[in-house]
Amino acid sequence: MSDVAMVGAEKLESIWKPRSAWAGYARAGRHGRTGGEAGITLTLRDEVGLATLIVADGKEAALDRALEASHGWSLPEAGRAALAGEEGLIWSGPGQWLAIAGTRRRLDGLADAVTGLASVTDQSDGRALVRVSGPCAREMLSKGVAIDLHPRAFRAGSAAVTSIAHIGAQLWQRDDAPTYDLAVARSFAGSFWSWLSHAAAEFGYGVEHGPGR
Amino acid sequence: MRIRCPHCGERDNGEFSYLGDAAPVRPDGPNASAEAMHDYVYLRDNPAGLHRELWYHAAGCRSWLVVTRDTRSHEIHEVAPARDVALSRRRGEVA
Repeated sequence: MSDVAMVGAEKLESIWKPRSAWAGYARAGRHGRTGGEAGITLTLRDEVGLATLIVADGKEAALDRALEASHGWSLPEAGRAALAGEEGLIWSGPGQWLAIAGTRRRLDGLADAVTGLASVTDQSDGRALVRVSGPCAREMLSKGVAIDLHPRAFRAGSAAVTSIAHIGAQLWQRDDAPTYDLAVARSFAGSFWSWLSHAAAEFGYGVEHGPGR
Repeated sequence: MRIRCPHCGERDNGEFSYLGDAAPVRPDGPNASAEAMHDYVYLRDNPAGLHRELWYHAAGCRSWLVVTRDTRSHEIHEVAPARDVALSRRRGEVA
């Protein structure tokens, strides 16, 4: 691209506006049971950078070193997430991880950094992300997740790929509050929200937009 | 019934789909006899007891697994990644 075109692109205001994966389904505000503190907070996470990594045969140690050098990340073990703040890697299968970062730009250069070691696929527009927190977060999720979320089995840094309401979902626990992040295929956002909003209703829930909007 | 996935831990069997007997090995196509292909495609043992079978962890890590299950009680004795089983078979080890 020429310098002239670059300058032009920066000055142009695009008529295309990003659309939230949850647009048309989730409404900000307080919902469900009225009165008292909301038991659940649902934070809609847009503008997050996501990419899947699949390691080449026998290259896991080299991939670990390359990611440490390029982004300061390390590969988590099976069933774990290695996050610092809003970014890092989440295990999603043997030899497979989900890379997450607070912005898409942060993932620039990821594919180049791991050339020959792993396949990288941008998923930033492919998944719908929601953060589940609040005093009833574990109780609410337990209604739909068929894995043990008790702290003895699933704690901060734990990650799992499973299904919720017959919808493939990846979840990881961020802290002991507990706070969870959930990711589903973007095209399932509406169906997933139908389950989530009904499951959260009995506790009273607040919906808010995360950073980036 | 629950299956302890070697990657994900214990999961409900609804997360898995069942393929069947893990024993048949595909004969070398062009050189295989009609009898060998017929055996591979159609004939299966139906044991009352231990059975090694292929399951796919579709809703989890998307791995193929070899599950050793007692067909009388559904008790599961062993779960191994099918990849490991195939690799050891290729190396000539009994698997």
